[in-house]
Amino acid sequence: MKENVSRRSVLKKLAGILGGTMVVSAGRASKAAVQKLLVNSGALRGYDPTQHKWLMALDVDRCIGCGLCAEACKSENDVPLEPRYFRTWIERYVITKAPAGSGESRGDVFVDSPNGGIGGFPPSSIPKEDILKSFFVPKLCNLCENSPCAQVCPVGATFDSPDGAVLVDRNYCIGCGFCIQACPYGCRFFNPVTHTADKCTLCYHRITRGLRPACVEICPSQARIFGDLKNPLPDDPIQHFIATKQAEVLKPHLGTSPRVVYAGLDKEVR
Amino acid sequence: MNRLFKLPPQIVRLVLLAVAVVTVFLIARYFLTPLSFGQYGHYRGDAIQEIAAREPYWAGRRTCDECHPDHVKKLAAAEHKGLSCETCHGPSRAHVENPEVKLPKMSFGQCVRCHEASPSRPAWLHQIKSRTHYTGQGCTECHAPHQPNEVP
Repeated sequence: MKENVSRRSVLKKLAGILGGTMVVSAGRASKAAVQKLLVNSGALRGYDPTQHKWLMALDVDRCIGCGLCAEACKSENDVPLEPRYFRTWIERYVITKAPAGSGESRGDVFVDSPNGGIGGFPPSSIPKEDILKSFFVPKLCNLCENSPCAQVCPVGATFDSPDGAVLVDRNYCIGCGFCIQACPYGCRFFNPVTHTADKCTLCYHRITRGLRPACVEICPSQARIFGDLKNPLPDDPIQHFIATKQAEVLKPHLGTSPRVVYAGLDKEVR
Repeated sequence: MNRLFKLPPQIVRLVLLAVAVVTVFLIARYFLTPLSFGQYGHYRGDAIQEIAAREPYWAGRRTCDECHPDHVKKLAAAEHKGLSCETCHGPSRAHVENPEVKLPKMSFGQCVRCHEASPSRPAWLHQIKSRTHYTGQGCTECHAPHQPNEVP
């Protein structure tokens, strides 16, 4: 085939390419203008979620049930005090002794969480002599890798951030409540003020500034341990936790792969 | 060649209409999808920064250390070393922004909140029965909160 390259044809091609790029860039600019009208994004710049991998660990043997974490969480994240919704709360487990001669190793299991543990726990109604074992379990969003809540969201408002946090985009949430039903850990609720689904964000505004989540900050007994797996600090307690404790997750049979790990879990804890 | 693609005019109109609808949809979708959508996944990437934009409420121990390193150091050497300042002193953000704002006084309730004896509490924790432990004025008569083990 004979090529017939003339000045005119080359100029035409160049003009075509230039015109094409101008159309694309004009398109993007006008899109940005349209977006500015639709969504006023107060987004901060400078935090790169791909550079972190957050992990929360809970040591059941360290929890003393003071309830300060649940309280700190509510004030940090503007969670309404009433109705009693919680991003994090404490459960008290009381396992009674088996009746004599029953052949069982343990009796009944009683679980309570008066006001999520805020204000502490009143003495249990079960007499001390009947208690085989009793302990506190702090609960929060389990930050599942295969999160059922993110899967059921019809509008893509709930998502798994690359740094391991499962977050809710309040501008997109339509408040349908599917995610609240889907969560097998009961960690979501409908915020009556914002009219959107709400949940633990790992205090996202704190961890992105280098602070610890409010519950971890306030915990007096280091029952809550928090750290970054990608950029561990020199004295990161999470590394010590992983190296020394036997980490378990809640409801492993559901295949949700939680990133919140527990140490010292009793088999009764669900 | 032309005869092969000869379609009835009403079909041609339908096809053109369908193409127009799809084109309008694609253009509208292009303009209505947020710029950051798909930045990290099938969601709006800006949502991450928006959630991070909230102001923290609890100041954090490191913030206290900036002005009160002596107290933090003293605490770190004693039994209460794991505690954050705000665990007992309460939210201190207002005090950080304006040091004139004083934090509330400590009270008896703050000690027993953690140290009242309960069968649910782990054995390693120092627990007391507040009714029989001491009936005097308050915990600080004997215990210094920053060095709780030093009993005179």
